Formats: sequence, structure tokens, C-alpha cells
Amino acid sequence: MRILPQAPHVALLSTAVLIGATVVLRADTSDDIQSLRTQIQQLDQQLRVLQRKQEIKDEETAAAARAAATTAPKITIDDKGFTFASADGADSVRIRGLVQLDSRFFFGDQGASTNGFFLRRARLISEGTFSKLYSFQLVTDFAGTGTPSILDANLGVAIDPAFQLKFGKFKSPVGLEWLQSDSWTFFNERSIATDLVPNRDLGVLASGGFLGDAVSYSGGILNGVPDGTTSNNAAFDNDKNVVGRIYTTPFKSSDVVPLQGLSVGISGDLGREKTASGHTAGYKTDGQQTFFTYGSTVVADGQSWHVSPQGEYRYGPFGLIGEYVLSTVNVRPTANAAKAQLENKAWQFAAGYVLTGEDSSYNGVTPKTIFNPSAGTWGAFEVVGRYADLKIDDAAFPRFASALTNADEATSIGLGMNWYLSKVALVKFDYYQTKFGFAPGAPAIPTTVILRQDEKAFITRFQLSF
Amino acid sequence: MKTLLRLLFLASSFSALGFLAAPARAEKTIELLNVSYDPTRELYRDYNAAFARYWKAKTGDDVVIKQSHGGSGKQARSVIDGLPADVVTLALAADVDALANVAKLIPADWQKRLPDNSAPYTSTIVLLVRKGNQKGIKDWDDLVRPGVSVITPNPKTSGGARWNYLAAWGYALAKFGGDEAKAREFVGALYRNVPVLDSGARGSTTTFVQRGIGDVLISWENEAFLALKESGGDQFAIVVPSLSILAEPTVAWVDKVVERKGTAAVARAYLEYLYSDEGQDIAGKNFYRPRSPKVAARYAAQFPQIKLITIDDVFGGWTKAQKVHFADGGVFDQIYLPH
Repeated sequence: MRILPQAPHVALLSTAVLIGATVVLRADTSDDIQSLRTQIQQLDQQLRVLQRKQEIKDEETAAAARAAATTAPKITIDDKGFTFASADGADSVRIRGLVQLDSRFFFGDQGASTNGFFLRRARLISEGTFSKLYSFQLVTDFAGTGTPSILDANLGVAIDPAFQLKFGKFKSPVGLEWLQSDSWTFFNERSIATDLVPNRDLGVLASGGFLGDAVSYSGGILNGVPDGTTSNNAAFDNDKNVVGRIYTTPFKSSDVVPLQGLSVGISGDLGREKTASGHTAGYKTDGQQTFFTYGSTVVADGQSWHVSPQGEYRYGPFGLIGEYVLSTVNVRPTANAAKAQLENKAWQFAAGYVLTGEDSSYNGVTPKTIFNPSAGTWGAFEVVGRYADLKIDDAAFPRFASALTNADEATSIGLGMNWYLSKVALVKFDYYQTKFGFAPGAPAIPTTVILRQDEKAFITRFQLSF
Repeated sequence: MKTLLRLLFLASSFSALGFLAAPARAEKTIELLNVSYDPTRELYRDYNAAFARYWKAKTGDDVVIKQSHGGSGKQARSVIDGLPADVVTLALAADVDALANVAKLIPADWQKRLPDNSAPYTSTIVLLVRKGNQKGIKDWDDLVRPGVSVITPNPKTSGGARWNYLAAWGYALAKFGGDEAKAREFVGALYRNVPVLDSGARGSTTTFVQRGIGDVLISWENEAFLALKESGGDQFAIVVPSLSILAEPTVAWVDKVVERKGTAAVARAYLEYLYSDEGQDIAGKNFYRPRSPKVAARYAAQFPQIKLITIDDVFGGWTKAQKVHFADGGVFDQIYLPH
């Protein structure tokens, strides 16, 4: 409530009293006194009316300002990026970014050509929603060789929380860790289990959640890509892959708190591949060095499928993910030779514990404090560990891959620490050790340098993600 | 292939376990927005709690009802402009009609969807005076006397104010044998005695009760009773005029909003429950006249007997009354000159 300044009020009343006093001196009758009372009451009412009118005017001004605020577009700048939204939130566009500067150091001779600093990711992400129904996402990456590439470009229609459609280029929903944001995986490089899952692909995907999101699903038709690879933007393919995933968090609404963060699921795809240059670009170690490739004349020709049981558990600062991947492909040593079906398998378990007590989450850790030495706050610290294994089908050697230059198995241990300077800034320190196994016929000393001893890599990262 | 089949079997069993463990139906929290007029704060505070209990017992779901209050006309305008009301509980049918006619948010026949023309409780208009009634106010005639200060809100923004205006007009018509010109003169004289026009009924109550302005407040009956109750019963008195009007606040769910939000069932149930014994009892406790004869009998002693005219009988319904009296350039605009 706004009160009018007291001075005019007091002045007017004083004047009235003075007038009254003067009149009283002249005619001290009860009628005069009554008349003065009436005049004072009238003046008092007039003042109250003026005050109330001003109060109403102020209220209307404030209401108009509130109304204007509710109809004005909103601009938000926070750890989720720059958001421009209509007043009702139905339309919005968000600009986000991800920059990762890594350093890799290999113990021994293995990384002689790959030691050093480099830009792992430099992404500009734009996404938006219109009428709360239609959405888009465009992810471009400027890291690597310096040539910008379009990683994701898709359009969505949110018909219902239980049924949403996505068209375009996006992550194939097979690998558990693969689906997690690049910003928030436990380690700075995904495990070798992710080598076996398709990466980004073109197609159409339906997804949704029900039972209070205790159950989610996705399913669709994609072009199909080899293990660990991403489709280009015009990957024409007569044979399509059917892909699906179902994921449940069965105790999400349960009163048993330790079980609320338990999720299990299964994903897979099925399709046909016929490529001119083999089925895979190669499987890589945690240090991103190739330890297996098919022979240069090998072509994929026939049915292929993946299946991946997977699960996750989060309880307070503790987090655990695990997945198994079976990748099956039909390949020929040369275009006209007899084909064979190969089954490559991988699995991983990774766990993290937030030492500073924050919750472990699929979407990263939100530190209670940010790193600010002058304020005596240090952010959040998380220790992480991982064990993973990838086994190539024995039948791959020697018809489809040389035992001289390839390993047939990689077993990896990873240990690390993540320092969340803030929700936006993160530093990671990871140590990986990968042991290789070999097929019969492999030489005592492999011809490929990186396979001659265990890979021991120390990889650090400074990341800004918003 | 055998490996694949084995894995599929194992993984499917794993997932099936998850499904079985999932609750058959997850309880949820539903949020409704009730956009109402000015003096219903207390009524819906009580009613919302009762309905939430009822809905929880019936469905297991929690329902949280948010309230928005203001002048009825302004509230209707806000909904038309995009305020996402699941339900509206406004002072008069004309304001709800605007949602159908202007914005097509509800069907034109919305009043037929609930009993009693979608008016689950009624009220009327009375006069509230200060202790001692120094100006000797007994009926509408006293409000046009020079020197009497009358408090009533703005009919352009307040539903209650329109009922006030029409009650006065109806009295004048009855007094002057249906002479519209004299009724116009009478109401014009009344508004010349109005020093402040608030945008809503609650604002006028504040002006009269808390700011101490005016000799008489033209008020909703429920608002007058509330003012008496909150002041301890000895600061004000209700003067029952010889004639007043049957005020029928109306309610509707907003189809376009509830369809978009998926709240149609609960929004409808929310309004239907107003007609239940509990809903009617809460109305009575908050000084609204219940529709239910059974509940109305329980509160009969609370409400004075007044001769009541109706909007349909005297003014030809809200559509006509709105157009003639309150539309831009209508009678009110012609007779009211801001001080």
C-alpha cells in the first residue's frame, strides 16, 4: 500500500483546525462547533479518498507491470545455456556449448604420435521448441580436423509424453553409456563396450514414458551404421535397421529409497548391411588407439544385429552403470567369397562416488559449492573406476583380420577423479590400462606397435559445458 | 544365433521383472488453476482442501488447486488473453460467456453442462453501513441523497459491481413503474455519490472497511457477512433493502485448457463436487446461499428474506444487459462521470 506524503495531510488538517479556531473565537456556539466537525470530517474523507485513489492507481500500475512481465519474452542465461522463451514458455530457443580440451600422455612407446594437447570437442548446440509441440536440435562440432561437422540434426513432435516422434540424425538408442551426454560420463572416454554399438544414424524414432516415467521406450527405423560409427548426412541405404529399447526404473515411486535409483533395460537392433569397405572403422582402446580392424577387402553382406542388456543404479553419491553388448555381423573376406557370421562381445561396469556428498546422476553432478578459493569453497570431487572387456570372434582370424596386426581381445581398467569446479566447469584426471589378447598365430612381438605392451594412458580434460 | 536367443531370453526376463515390480498405477499430482472473482478467496480456500481430500480418496491422486482472484470481468479477460485456467468460477454468466464468444475456449452451451445453469450457489446484494448508521440509510432511495457517500466497484471490471448496478436499476424501475428514464436518472444520481471505483468487490470492501471511506457499501451478501464476522460484529451493520437481485455466480471448466493439459476429468469433478452435500455446506458456511434445498434449510436462519428480481425477468438476460448497460458506450459509460 502506498501512503500519500504526510505533509499535505497535516497541512490541510492544520489549516482546517486554524480556520475552526478562528471561527470559534468569533462565534462560540454549538452550531458552529458542529459545522466545524462536519467540515473536518468532510476534509478527512476527501483526504482518504485521495489516498485510496492513489493506492488504487499504484495497484493498477503494479498489476499492469505484472501483466506486462507475463507477456514479455524471457531471456535466461544460466548453466543450461542461453534461452530465449516466449512469455508462456510455449516457444523457446536455447543455445548451448561444449568445449573439451584434453591432454593425453602414454607411458612407453605406444603414444609417440598421439601425446599432447588437443581439442576433443568444440560444439555449438542449438535446440528449440515451438507451441510446446514441435522441436529441433542441431549439434555442430568444430573440433578434430577443424572441419565443422553436423553431429545431430533432428526435428521432434511431442504428441504426448508417452508418444513423441523424432526425425533426422540422432544417437541410435542401443548403448547405455553412448546415450549419456558427452559431458557427464564417468570417464573422459567411453568404454570399449561402446565400440560395438552404432553411434549416430538417420531415420525416425518414437519414444515416450509412462507409469510416471517408471518405464520408457524408444523404437524406430534407421538407415543402419557399422559398429562405433556415425552416419554421414546422406547415407542412402536400401536396407533399413529396426531399433528398439525399453528401460525401466521399477521402484522410482517406491517408498524403499535405496531401490528408487535402480534401472534395468534392454536394447537392440536388427537389419542388413552391405558395405564396400568392411563393417567397422575399427575398435579403439580407451586411449582412442585402434587395436582391431577388418582386412581391407572384407565386406559386410547380410544380417546384422545388436543386443544389449543394461542397467544403472544411483543412490546418493554412489552411481553404477553396467552393460553387455553383442554385435553380430555377416561378412565376406572378399566380395564374392563365402561369408561367415561373426559375434563380437563386450561388457563394462563403471562406478563413481562423489566424495563431497552430492548426488551421483546420469546428468552429472551438481556441486553444492563452486570452486572459489577466496571464499574457501572447492566444488565437488568424484572418484570413478571401470572394468571393461571386448572380445573379437575367434572365427575372425585369419580370414577376416590378420592376427599379425590385430588383438582379439582388450581388457581395460580405468581409475579417475572428476573435479566439478561448478556445474559448468569440470576437470577430469583418468588413468587407463588396457591389456591385449591375441588369436592363435599371432607373433610373439606384434607388428603393430601399440599392441606390444599394455596401453597405459593418462588423460586429463578441462571442460566447459552449458 | 543361439547366443542371441539366449541373451534375448535372459534380458527379456530381466525387463519383465522390472515391469512386475513397477506399481500398477503410479500416483500423480495434478495441478488445477481456478480463476475466480474477488470475494471467493475464503470459499475456495475451504472448498479446495475438501475437494483434494475427496479426490485423493477416490483416485489416489493428489490435486493441488491454485487460485487467482480479481474483478470478474478482468479475470475473464485474463483467461481470454492466455491465463491457463482449468476452471473459472466467476461472478456472472456474462463473463463466462465471453470465454465462449470471444475466445472460443468453451462451447456456447456451457451453462447446460452443470445443474442450475452452472450456478452451484447464489447470493444477493445488500447494503453495509457503519455502526450507528449516522446517515439513516434504510433502502436504495437513501443512496441518492446528496451528502451520502456510496462505495461500489467499477461495473466495467467487476461482476459484483454489475449486480449492484442492476439491483439499483431494478429497484428504480419498480419504484417508477418501469420508467427507464427515471431509472437512469436514479442510478446516475447514485453513481454521482461514489467517490472511488475499485476494480473489484474485495477492493471496495477494503475501501469501506479498512480505509474508512464512505457511508455505505453496496456489497455481495456473503462479503457483507464476512466483513461483520471479521470486525467482531460491532463495527458495521447490514441493511437489507426492500428489493434486490438474485445473483448467480457461474462456473465452467475451460475446454481448450483442460484438453491441452489433460486435466478434463479432474476439472469437471472439481466443479461437480460443488453440488455435493459437502460442497454446498462449505458454500453455506461462507455465506453463499446453497442450491441444495436440504443444505439451504440448514442455513435458512442465516439469510434474510428479500424480494429478489432476476436478470432474466427484468433485463432480458445477461447478454442483453451486458450490451445495453456495460458495453463500451453503454448506459453506464453515459451516466458515470469520474470525479
